[in-house]
Amino acid sequence: MVGVWKGNTVKTSTTTVAVVLIGASTTLVGAAHAGFNSSGCVFSVSSSAGTGTLTNVTTDLTPTAWMSTGGWLSSGDASASVTWSNNVWGWNPSTSAGFMNANIVIRNNTSAAQDFVFTATMSGTATGPLTASGSIGGQFVNGSGTLGMLTSTGPLWGASVDGMTVNSQLSNALFFAPPFQVVSLGNFNFSNLTVSDSIDSDVAIRFSMRLSAGGEASFTSGFSFVAVPAPAALSLIALVPVVGKRRRR
Amino acid sequence: MCFFCNSLALLYGVAPIETGGFRIGRTQVVRVRRGMGNEFTLEKEKGMKNQFAIAVASLAVAFSYSEAHATLVPPSFGFTLQSGGTVVSGNAGDFGSTTNVSPTEWFFYGSCTAMTGTSMSWAYLVDPDPFVTGSLSITNETAFAREYVVDFELATSISMPSTLISGQVSGSLTDSNGSGAALLTSTAGGAVYTALGDGLFVHSLMSNASQSVSSAFGTTSFTGGSFGTPTPLAGPAINNAIGIRYAFTLSAGDSVSFSSIFVANPVPAPGAIALGILTGVIGCGGRRRVR
Repeated sequence: MVGVWKGNTVKTSTTTVAVVLIGASTTLVGAAHAGFNSSGCVFSVSSSAGTGTLTNVTTDLTPTAWMSTGGWLSSGDASASVTWSNNVWGWNPSTSAGFMNANIVIRNNTSAAQDFVFTATMSGTATGPLTASGSIGGQFVNGSGTLGMLTSTGPLWGASVDGMTVNSQLSNALFFAPPFQVVSLGNFNFSNLTVSDSIDSDVAIRFSMRLSAGGEASFTSGFSFVAVPAPAALSLIALVPVVGKRRRR
Repeated sequence: MCFFCNSLALLYGVAPIETGGFRIGRTQVVRVRRGMGNEFTLEKEKGMKNQFAIAVASLAVAFSYSEAHATLVPPSFGFTLQSGGTVVSGNAGDFGSTTNVSPTEWFFYGSCTAMTGTSMSWAYLVDPDPFVTGSLSITNETAFAREYVVDFELATSISMPSTLISGQVSGSLTDSNGSGAALLTSTAGGAVYTALGDGLFVHSLMSNASQSVSSAFGTTSFTGGSFGTPTPLAGPAINNAIGIRYAFTLSAGDSVSFSSIFVANPVPAPGAIALGILTGVIGCGGRRRVR
């Protein structure tokens, strides 16, 4: 049975914002399928701008796919924010491939550069080996009257399995934008990447960056993974028609 | 009272008052205040026309007065989302949060899922002086490609008989459902981005545009172009509102994000320019007479 996901608000008391995870239960669809089964998605934000309030609403799209929309606003003057919208995640019932999207907008309305880390973590398990594909693209808007700057703090984007980064993009990135200008950050894709033998707990997408005062960065990105049959399983599959033929004879 | 003071008195109801001053060698320091507002100090050379000094200070006071009063209430910043004959509209502030960022700037952040099969969110910094800058994200959750028209409109605080305009748009498109393809096109050969003044066309970008993704969960970024950068273009009169319209067709299950800017600055009217030149001439004349 697929659980119903409801909205939630978390008022945080520390710099690292706690997470939104509402009760969800999922049927473990076909263990024999060796695919992915999600049991929830969690969003977190931390920022040098201080503590904040995180809200999230997750809705059912299909029995195996959900969509989360939410945001984080810094406490007090709400001068820094992270918005995620239309983050669709879940798995494909026919291929059992798991997927998650992270479409986010980060805004720094403070008077100084600020660091932001956004993480979307989807819980679940799968047996592999697994191959993955993913991508990120985005833009940087300088809404201030001075030169704007976007820098990565570590890789700007990373995808991980069980806490281990399996792919990262835009390491040591540095983008400049003149006052009131938009800069495209480009797009980065990968596919058929062997990532892990299994997923034991979760997969995640992580953004990490420093934004100058008045800067805004927006991204669309995706991460998908699927179990590929092991060589032994492949030979087993190859054997099936032979056995079938013999029986017909 | 000089001509400037008279004019300001008529415009703002309260005349500027020369509240005092003192002299340091050839320089006289004049203090000016408008009503209950802040006191401004202006240095002037001996013999310089008092009217000129007071006029300049009065203008500074008057502008600061109008700026301060323009920030009391958030500006009207509305959106309209149209797709498949369905229209959802409202004040952006009612679908999220509104934050006063600076004396004249406001930040609107929110989302709208009121249209079935479509999820939209935004983060915009606006200034009624005016400019609009920020990001819009939309996901088409349906199984079919959909046409969208999304308008954001900001009420301006000033009337501009003529303008200098600039704008820009960039974006990224992601195959969010892993179908192996995503497509964004301008609708019916139109432009994806259109800058609006008083609801009318001002400038457009991304005409006949087409952006695609050809891998599962892939992304493409695009630079949609710009106008009026680095030198702003001459624009039309804008009296009530500026806005940005996005019109596009988005493939099923996919997401697009746009970051854009539209700035409109008033052009000083010829009369104001002449007046500025005149005051300069008067000032120079005053200084010459002292010598």
